[in-house]
Amino acid sequence: MMFEKLKVGFHRLGSPPTFYRLCRRLSPWFWAGFALCAVIGLYQALYVVPPDYQQSDSFRILYVHVPAAWQALFGYVLMSILAAIALIWRIRTTEILTMMCAPVGAACTFICLATGSLWGQPMWGTWWAWDARLTSMLVLLFIYLGIMGLYSAFDDRRKGARVACILVLVGLVNIPIIHFSVDWWTTLHQGATINLFGESKMHPSMLPPLIWMAVAVKLMFTAVMLDRSANELVDQDRRKNWVRKMIGDYA
Amino acid sequence: MIPQFEYAVFVWTSYGVFATVVIWQFLQPVLRRRRLLAELREEAALQSGVEQ
Repeated sequence: MMFEKLKVGFHRLGSPPTFYRLCRRLSPWFWAGFALCAVIGLYQALYVVPPDYQQSDSFRILYVHVPAAWQALFGYVLMSILAAIALIWRIRTTEILTMMCAPVGAACTFICLATGSLWGQPMWGTWWAWDARLTSMLVLLFIYLGIMGLYSAFDDRRKGARVACILVLVGLVNIPIIHFSVDWWTTLHQGATINLFGESKMHPSMLPPLIWMAVAVKLMFTAVMLDRSANELVDQDRRKNWVRKMIGDYA
Repeated sequence: MIPQFEYAVFVWTSYGVFATVVIWQFLQPVLRRRRLLAELREEAALQSGVEQ
C-alpha cells in the first residue's frame, strides 16, 4: 500500500504542472534552511573558532572552500544519477533537473578554485600550480561549462539534454581522479583532512562551522536547482495550457 | 564588529567571492522568471488582441 502510494507520487513528478508546483513550494524552504545554516556557520567560522597554530587566520578560508569543493563533487555525482535516469526512462523533468545541476555545480567549482587560489597565495606563495588536485578540479569546471554549452547549442532542448546527459556520464570518470589525486600523485595540495569512516586530522573545535557550511551549501544547491528547473520548464512549455492558465492566474 | 584577521585581505576576499556567487545564484533565477512571465504576458496580450 505504502509502496503503491510512493510509486504513484513518483510518477506524478513526471507531470510538468505538479513538478513546477513542487519546485516553487520547496525552493523557499531550502533557501530559508540555507540562510539559517549559513548564519550559524559563518558566525562560528569568523568569531568562535580560534586561529590555526600554523596558518593563523588564513585557515578560515576552509569554511567556504571545502563545502564548495564537496558540493562540486557531490553535485556532479547527483547529476550523473539523474542523467542515467533521464537516459533510461526518458523523463523530461529529470532531464531538466540534470541540466540545471550544471550551472550550480560550475558555481561551486568556481568558488572552490577562486578561494583555493586566495588561500594558496599566502600559504604556498603562489596563486596557482599545475598540481593534480588543482588541475583535475579545473577540468571539472570545464566539464560543467561544456555540459551547459552543449545543452544550449541545440534548438531541440530534449535532444540537447540527451546528448549532454551522455557527456555527464563520460565526465564522471573525473570524480575519482579528483578525489584520489592527492593519494595517487605527489601534490602541493594537502591530503584529505576529514575522514568520514576514520579519525579526522582536524581538531574537533574546528569541525562544527564546517558541518554547518557544508549543509548550507547543499541546501543552496538544491534551492537553485529547483528555481532554475521551474523556469526552464515554463520556458519549454510556454505554448502549453498549464502555463497559459498559470499566466492567467498571475495576471 | 568585523574581525581584524591576519591575512585579512585573503580571508575577506574569499568570503566576498562566496557571497557574490551565492547572491548571483539567488538573483539569476528570480530575474529570469520575471523576464519569462513578462514575455508570456506580452504574448498572451498580443494573441488576445489578434483574436478580437
